[in-house]
Amino acid sequence: MMNGNPSPRRRGAGSPTARRLIGVALAAALSLTGCAGQGQKKDEGSSTSGGKVTISFWNGFTGPDRPAVEGLVKKFNASQNKVTVTMEISPWDVFFQKLLPSIGAGKGPDLMGMDAAQLPQYASRGVLRPMDEYYSDAANESDKLVKPAVDATAWQGKHYGVPMNFTTLLLYWNKGMFKDAGLDPDTPPKTWAEFQTAAKKLTKDTNGDGKPEQYGLALADHETIAMWPILFWGNGGGVVSDDGKKAMLGDPKTIEAMQQWGDLVRNQHISPVGLGGADADKLFQTKKAAMEIVGPWMTTGFKDAGIDFGLAAPPAGPAGPVTLGTSVAFAVNAKTTDAKAKAAQEFIKFWNTKDSQKEWALGSGFPPNRTDLAAGDLTENPYVVAFGEPAGTAKFYLANVKDFTKVNDTLYTPALQKVLNGKGTAQDLFPQASAQIQQLLDSQQ
Amino acid sequence: MSTGIPVARPRYRGGVAKRRQARAAWLFLAPSLVILGVFIVYPMTQALYLSFTDYDVLNPATWTGLANYRELLGDEAFRNALVNTLYYAAVATPVSVALALGCALLLNRRFPLRGLGRTAVFLPVVVGLAIVAIAWGFLLDPDIGLLSYWLGKIGLTANSGWVRDPTLAMPAVIIVGVWKNIGFYMVIYLAGLQSIPRDLYEAAEVDGASPWQRFRNVTWPLLANQTMLVTILCAIATLQAFDQIFVMTHGGPFFRTETLVMLIYRQGFSEFRFGYAAAISWALVLLILVLSIFQFAYFRKRAVRY
Repeated sequence: MMNGNPSPRRRGAGSPTARRLIGVALAAALSLTGCAGQGQKKDEGSSTSGGKVTISFWNGFTGPDRPAVEGLVKKFNASQNKVTVTMEISPWDVFFQKLLPSIGAGKGPDLMGMDAAQLPQYASRGVLRPMDEYYSDAANESDKLVKPAVDATAWQGKHYGVPMNFTTLLLYWNKGMFKDAGLDPDTPPKTWAEFQTAAKKLTKDTNGDGKPEQYGLALADHETIAMWPILFWGNGGGVVSDDGKKAMLGDPKTIEAMQQWGDLVRNQHISPVGLGGADADKLFQTKKAAMEIVGPWMTTGFKDAGIDFGLAAPPAGPAGPVTLGTSVAFAVNAKTTDAKAKAAQEFIKFWNTKDSQKEWALGSGFPPNRTDLAAGDLTENPYVVAFGEPAGTAKFYLANVKDFTKVNDTLYTPALQKVLNGKGTAQDLFPQASAQIQQLLDSQQ
Repeated sequence: MSTGIPVARPRYRGGVAKRRQARAAWLFLAPSLVILGVFIVYPMTQALYLSFTDYDVLNPATWTGLANYRELLGDEAFRNALVNTLYYAAVATPVSVALALGCALLLNRRFPLRGLGRTAVFLPVVVGLAIVAIAWGFLLDPDIGLLSYWLGKIGLTANSGWVRDPTLAMPAVIIVGVWKNIGFYMVIYLAGLQSIPRDLYEAAEVDGASPWQRFRNVTWPLLANQTMLVTILCAIATLQAFDQIFVMTHGGPFFRTETLVMLIYRQGFSEFRFGYAAAISWALVLLILVLSIFQFAYFRKRAVRY
């Protein structure tokens, strides 16, 4: 079925005909839906031989954290003799392309790990099993989990996931570049005023062609973990309200933040326009940008590039300190049998025990999902502690919004890009986009 | 095949032979027909059915009649993608044909390392477009790209870079698309050039025709068949531009490079609207069909036999 998906991995043979690609994908999905009737309630016997339950688990941890995931799964399988987890790891884009048709066919994995922001898209279509039974079981110690990450798994009053990982974003700053610009390399900016002054000082156009050779900040506007929304939040604005019910892109606070930072980007060139997330990382990694707000997954890459960087909470805006929280959640297939769902919960419980979380944090570089691990347990990896610290001020981007992709890719991002490219102003474009977002939010109620 | 002489053949024998011939023909055709049926005709009819439904893959399709097509007519995103697609095709097709012909003429001459030259032009065809697009993305990166660096040296500084600039992004993906495919069309032209009888050139030379006149009056007219083939193939391919756009710009900035196939992908795989995506696919099928019919009619009058 993968062959049908026009993924970037597909070989571009001469002229891949569009209708064939799409058609095959649709047909594959459809024909599988056709057999869903016979296939969905799979005989439990095949996978419960000798009282042992096997559950399939899909996720996209192909990065440096892969060994940590594999290690914990192996440990779980060895720790008891009732449940076996068989895991399949593929890159995130492949994971989602595979997940859609396989769930559509009434199959798919028993357990999956997916970005919490994606949960409502699936939960609203009834393909995920509510996890409230997990949360109500005191033995699972769910009250010890990072609360914003738990809240992000909610959809219309029910929880559809349990945090598998959690992190905040922090400000990375290049100490060497701070020193060269006459800034104290050990004091990161703490307020917006300091942040903006530093960004301007660190932006250098040495050959005077109007295009800086060095940027103060790498700020991505598309295909990225949310960076601009942190700035909107800092001013008391946002894209959508925390409860996912109200569009806030047209809010005066959001527009004010956009004007302020948009002016710095457009006129003072503190960051290039049009960066994708990977471009922004590359810019910091090649010492072309002195600051970036991003997650713990970049620590290894930046260290390997020989960059002496510091980590701090993103500078606080007028509305107080805030950063982005992001999480991958465990979710259980609605078609999975009760026995298997129970087994999946056993695994999730194991994953979120103190011991497992310590191992996870040290192995993956992500902070633990639990709030009751002492910093002393984690001293081996100082980054882990740093990324866990601002958990209390973390907001989830577009949490509890069903049409995540549509709000983000179709409405918000183009409006932001138009403003940054001078094709309109925030006062004109943001309220327009906001009204369209509101329409979508209203229709999901 | 008739010889023009009516011969009274025994009917039954002819019938048997014919039937046997027909059966053999069907047998030979069968593998292709099965593949065509299973992988093209069947999916296309399924897609046609889905285009009249509301379908998100996760739940059964519900019949909505012409709703998707009606939405199509008023959809800003569809109009934008249609314009982008036509722009892409209208630029990329003639440029590809001209460059392919130019390369073929050049590489048809005898010179040292000709094989290397031909390989160099053809190589991008066999390399995956996604890989190629990633490489070009690096070359064109305004901050760390080699090409941007060289262009900067001669004073051509793109402020936010080719791929990120709303007006330059489309030319960038067109350049990559053209560069990728001309090798294939060049090979078709090379074959055409080699099938033109030498004596025609000799005769032209004897008559004192200049190189330009020889090209204008011998080469170009006799390549009419290849030009037809290349133009039609190229138009069909460019109307379906997808891969390098997906990798280089993902349709951005703000949908400036979103072609119809990109839109189909976005509607289907990221917004879960497979019914609507199928309707756009069928609109594209019809567009290509109509354009191909016109092209075919135009070129058929100019077909040559020699």
